[in-house]
Amino acid sequence: MTGRKPFRSLALAAVAGVGLAVWVFPVIWGLLTSFKTERDVLAYPPVWFFKPTLDNYREVIFGASSIMPNLWSSLVVSTSATFFTMLFAIPAAYALARLKYPAKRASGFYVLATQMLPPVGLIIPYYLALQKVGGLDTYSGLTLIYLTFSLPFAIWLMVSYFEDIPFEMEEAALLDRAGRLRTLWYVILPQVRGGIAVTTIFVFLNAWNEFMFAVVLGGNRVRPVTVAMFNFISVEQTQWAKVAAGAMLAMLPVILIGLFAQRHIVKGLTVGAVKGGGRR
Amino acid sequence: MSGNEAMRASASVRIEGVVKRHGTTTVLHGVDLAIEPGEFFVLLGPSGSGKTTTLRILAGLEPVSDGRVFMDEVDVTMREPGERDVAMVFQSYALYPHMTVAQNIGFPLKMVGTPSVEVAAAVNEAAAKVGIAHLLGRTPGQLSGGQQQRCALARAIVRQPRLFLLDEPLSNLDAKLRMETRLELHALQRNLGATTVYVTHDQEEAMTLADRIAVFMDGRIVQVGTPREVFSTPRTIEVAGFIGTPAMNFVSGAWSGATVTVAGVPLAVRASTDQPREVKLGVRPNDLRIVAEGLPARIERIEDLGDSCIVSFAAGESHLKLKSDRLHPVKEGDEVRLAFEPGAEHLFDAQTGARL
Ligand SMILES: Nc1ncnc2c1ncn2[C@@H]1O[C@H](COP(=O)(O)OP(=O)(O)OP(=O)(O)O)[C@@H](O)[C@H]1O
Ligand SMILES: [Mg+2]
Repeated sequence: MTGRKPFRSLALAAVAGVGLAVWVFPVIWGLLTSFKTERDVLAYPPVWFFKPTLDNYREVIFGASSIMPNLWSSLVVSTSATFFTMLFAIPAAYALARLKYPAKRASGFYVLATQMLPPVGLIIPYYLALQKVGGLDTYSGLTLIYLTFSLPFAIWLMVSYFEDIPFEMEEAALLDRAGRLRTLWYVILPQVRGGIAVTTIFVFLNAWNEFMFAVVLGGNRVRPVTVAMFNFISVEQTQWAKVAAGAMLAMLPVILIGLFAQRHIVKGLTVGAVKGGGRR
Repeated sequence: MSGNEAMRASASVRIEGVVKRHGTTTVLHGVDLAIEPGEFFVLLGPSGSGKTTTLRILAGLEPVSDGRVFMDEVDVTMREPGERDVAMVFQSYALYPHMTVAQNIGFPLKMVGTPSVEVAAAVNEAAAKVGIAHLLGRTPGQLSGGQQQRCALARAIVRQPRLFLLDEPLSNLDAKLRMETRLELHALQRNLGATTVYVTHDQEEAMTLADRIAVFMDGRIVQVGTPREVFSTPRTIEVAGFIGTPAMNFVSGAWSGATVTVAGVPLAVRASTDQPREVKLGVRPNDLRIVAEGLPARIERIEDLGDSCIVSFAAGESHLKLKSDRLHPVKEGDEVRLAFEPGAEHLFDAQTGARL
């Protein structure tokens, strides 16, 4: 498709290559580090060729301060946050896109506005609130806090998908005696499958990668992997190779999801741009 | 299904004093209609006159602000769309894009719990009736406009509803396909015998399809009648101007006896009056003649349509059109005189626009 302009495509490829290198370098570096001994890590100048070891992985998986429980924590929090987000976001986005009610625009703006607040400003109120109800260091507490920002985000993302469905389609379904619920189930939801997939992925990844709320509102019982990586950084020494191995494990699901859902994600990112560019 | 069953299935429809308001604007000012079982009834009117609104009220998709809707003399004003046993073909077709043609057509049956074997049979039958039996496995996105339209039609007839509602179902098709489909639609409706309410702003479509036409103007029904009645005796000057292409010619004149005097020229009419008054005189382009004695006019333009021609004139303030099968031996810029056979005239009150 770019065959006619070899120069242009070459230049584009070069730019993309440089960009990719900048992005990928830390990951590669981390990957290499995770297979080094702690001594090789500190070697200066850095060594590119070394005898790889699996000790770090052995340590972070089976060792005294294994991060496996933390991976589990992350999974529980992220999954439940994602589940509840989608549970509420789908009907809410549908309502926002469809039903006529007073102050609809105002509520739409509110949803977006919550996305603009810097989360740091909220951390102390959240802490105090959770403390009051005994929600610190609990799965439900952290999940609840994740909902406060993932829900508006998910609603906002989903609304545009619902708005793409013509009103008459629903009316046709109503005349076909589907009723409101079955209309949603048989006619609406199948058409926003892509949107649901994208939103689910984004919400899950956001929760999985979250650090700040997890470190403050979590604790000994609920300690997601993003926080637990710091187990290997102590006052006396920093075990960089272990940190790297832990980071690689934590990144694994993210990368897998990324590879798996590449197409959906790209579509989700450009949803505004492609809106209406598809059918009809 | 037998013709008998179909006849039994079709409903009579009556609406009484239906008013529809959106906020402070009133879009229907008290509409009354009575539609016979099995009738092909067309709602005709210019854009924004309230046709779609009326149709949606029949479907139950739009609540009335006032008035009542009856089907088979049962008050259904408050019933949900699904409870009225009506099927509708939307202007946009509203096909479900994620389902195949077969699933689309079968959907109304699936929703009422019809066993899948029966659904399949009914889907095949309906698809065959509209000629898309070979397309059942495709999705709507893989169909042409005409095929989509048929699919929507099949989805509407599959359930054998008591009432069909169609909102400009042909408007997305090109001219040729529109003509063909119009004929098929007519045949299909006759075959099914179901009461049909059909919305269009295309008067030609209305004339060819309708048993009766209701003409809408500004949220009111101004005339109900057979196509012939509406064409030959329009009740108001608006209806007269709306129905027929090219549109009827109008000139102002003074009517007394059996003469209408236009710009000082007396023109003979069949109707006679003993109360002289100001009128609007309407003559259809087909009825206008170039003659030796009559209204002076200058030819502005001659359009040759192949099998006929349309001649445009300027006569004083007014612009007139004449339509004729044969090409007149005249040319643009010629000064001619125009008249019509007495009886071809339509006279309307100059103030109210009502037919006299
Ligand atoms: N939701 C609404 N709010 C306000 N006005 C409305 C609404 N829906 C329709 N209208 C108005 O009601 C009037 C009648 O609309 P309707 O759709 O029935 O016209 P129509 O005869 O079907 O016209 P068309 O041939 O263009 O489809 C129009 O003037 C329209 O602007
Ligand atoms: Mg309309």
